[in-house]
Formats: sequence, structure tokens, C-alpha cells
Amino acid sequence: MNPINDNDLILYYYKDGLDAGRLAEIDAALEASGKLQARYRRLCEMLDRATEAPPAPAADLEQRVWSRFEQRVGAAAGSRSSAGLIDWLRGILASARGSRLIVAGGFACALLIAVGVGYQVGRVTPPSTVLETPLEARASDRNMANRVLDGYVSGHLRATEGLLLTAVNEDSGEILDGNRELARSLVESNRLYAVAAARAGNVRLADFLRQLEPVLLEVANQSATSNVEDRQGLRDYLQRSDLLFQVRATESRIDVANKRSL
Amino acid sequence: MNESKEHWLAQAREGNAAAFRRLVEPHTRPLYGLCARITRDSALAEDAVQEALFNAWRHLPGFDGRAGFRTWLHRIAVNAALEQLRKRGRHRQESDTADCDDDFLEAHVDESSGPDRRAIGAEIHQQTERQLERMSAIERTAFVMRHNEGQSLEEIAHVLSMNTNACKQAIFRAVRKLRIALEPLR
Repeated sequence: MNPINDNDLILYYYKDGLDAGRLAEIDAALEASGKLQARYRRLCEMLDRATEAPPAPAADLEQRVWSRFEQRVGAAAGSRSSAGLIDWLRGILASARGSRLIVAGGFACALLIAVGVGYQVGRVTPPSTVLETPLEARASDRNMANRVLDGYVSGHLRATEGLLLTAVNEDSGEILDGNRELARSLVESNRLYAVAAARAGNVRLADFLRQLEPVLLEVANQSATSNVEDRQGLRDYLQRSDLLFQVRATESRIDVANKRSL
Repeated sequence: MNESKEHWLAQAREGNAAAFRRLVEPHTRPLYGLCARITRDSALAEDAVQEALFNAWRHLPGFDGRAGFRTWLHRIAVNAALEQLRKRGRHRQESDTADCDDDFLEAHVDESSGPDRRAIGAEIHQQTERQLERMSAIERTAFVMRHNEGQSLEEIAHVLSMNTNACKQAIFRAVRKLRIALEPLR
């Protein structure tokens, strides 16, 4: 048998790093030798002493640590949101062409500012007298931003409903021309609201808005010479997909939710 | 992990910081104890816990559940504690890497538990503290993880980015340095 040195005894103490054969050898040697037992006991005592009394934490450790944690999480989320929104806005403005798009961009800017303010308020508002944790404050700011978004989307859906009704029911070339212009601006704002809804975590609304886009494009791209058959095709599609009903239902759901939250 | 912890974990993964706090708050003091043993400094330990919590929050989506949640958290805390030591320029690497062959324990075979020995108990404790202080960060961390945390050599080696043999050597060196605490018994 190999002689048993301190390193073997240390590993034996931890029952780690030794194979079963070596462990059995040390077991047997400890039983047979009082001297080895004494050495091993000394090792155990020393290791036990080494772990006594770690530095005591302050009484308010948890309070301090978690308060700082919440501030950091809030700051990180705020800066991420702001940076993302600013980059996105920069991209939108860079690609903006035409007055209609600028109008849509204007709505989007207003919405973005509202959403951004919602996120920022939690970072700069001085503490209120009501005991509110940073997380609760951020939650109420998000609610405010969501309500602003809902308000804009509700108006957008009303405009979309009117557009679709005009597209399937009107015969006047002049009105349909205006409708196409409106459809083009609604396509842009629809995209912006879909992204804003997704950012706000409202996946259902974002999906619905994305579902609207092909129809808006269809209306925007209708040729000036579109005939009755063309309009019948759009009418059939709206009937099959129940899209007008869904637009009204979503609009009404948003309005009801907003009234409840006031 | 029980059902409520699973629930909080799922919520925390989705970005719910309140759920994360529910899940991790009971670990705050144990994490502090671990960091304090490694840094030997209460302020550094608190900073390390702070960093560990934030890092755990950021990396929670990457927690795959292969290791236990506690082990995962402690691993992050160990790295945060070492980072604090590095930042403060207190990361001392000992050049003493030779594996001494003499067995220091052999010199202390008298196991009588007389009054003299009990009287020097407090002194032994202070000596032990001093020796822990003198260890390099790696030695102390390997020792603390093995002795206090009960981590396996493989786990420690993984956390400290060293091979298992180097990890063993770090623990051996740490134990050897503690022998100075036994000098009064000679």
C-alpha cells in the first residue's frame, strides 16, 4: 500500500478526488493505526476551526442589497427601452418620405414620446409620500404608457373601419382616390402601432394589427380604374375573414379596458 | 425545486423582477457568507452580493436547470467575489506552488485535551483567521467552496477555470498554510 500523506487525508476528509480503492485503503489504515487516527483527528479539528464565525452581515443587509438591485434593474430597463426607441425613431425618420408619412410619423413620435415618458418618469420622479417600491412605480408608469398607446390605436382602428367601409361601398372615383391616400398613411401608422404594441408586451394587439396590414395594402394599391368585380373581391374577403367585425370588437375592447382603468 | 419556486422561476425568466426577488431573497445571507469568506471584507462581500444578484438576473434566461439553482447562484457569487478582489487589487497570487512532502500533522500527535490546550483555543482561532487572510484568492476560494459549500473538485475547477489537479493543489496549499495556526500546540 502507498504511504498515506496529508493530501490523501485531506481528500479522504472531503470524500472527493480519491477512487474507491484508495478510500478503502485509508479506512483500513485508520482502523489499524492509532497514530494515523490522531493525525486525521487533528486535520478535522483544524478544518472545523477554519470555518468558524464568518464576518457578520449588517442587520439591514437585505434591505440595502435589494433596494439597490431594484434601482439597477429599473435603470437598465429604462436605458434599454430609451435606446431602442430612439434608434427605432431615427430609422423611421430617416426613411420618412411624403407628407402622409410625416403625418404618420408625427403620430408615432407622439406615441413614442408618451411611451418613453412612461418609462422615464419612474427614473426621475422624486419619491412620493406613499410607500411605493421602484418596481411598483415602474408598473404604474407602464400602465400609463399602455393607456396612451391604447388611445392612439383606438383612433387608428376607427379610421381603418371607415376606410374599409368606404372601399367596399363607394363608387365615386374621387372618394376612392382619397381612400387610397388614407390607406397608405394607415399602413405606415399600422406598422408603427404594431411595433409599439409588441414593445409594450401586448402580443395580441400586435398580432391583430399585423393581420390588418395586407388589407390596408390592398386598398392602398387599388388601381384608379378598379371596377365592381375588384371591390366585390375585397368585400368577399372581409366577409370571409370577419375582419370588419374584429376591428370593431378590438376597438370596443380597448375602449372598455381604458374606461375601467381610469 | 418545489412548485412555488418553479412558478417564481418561470415568472422571473419572463422579466418579472419581483418574482426574482421572491426566489432569490432567501439566498441573500448565505451568499453574503460565501462572499465574506472569500473576500474577508464585509464591504467587498456586500458589493459582491450586489453584483451577483444583478448578474444572476441578467443571465437567468441562460439558466438551463442542469445544476441546482442554489449551486448556480453560488457559482455566480464566487465569481463576483473574485471580481471584487481583482478590482481592489487584492488578488494576491502566491508563488508557493511546490507540493511539500513533509506531513505537518505528524508533528501533532498528542491528543490530550488538557486545560492548557483549551486555553489557547482563542489564540488558535485568531491564527487561523490570519492564515486565511494570507491565502491567495484562488486558494481561499477553492478551500471555501470545498469546505464550506461542499462543492466537488470538478465543480470548483469549473468555476475557477482550472483543471481538477490544480484545484486539488490549491486546496492542499490552503490547508498547509493553516498549519501555522497549530504552531502554539507545538
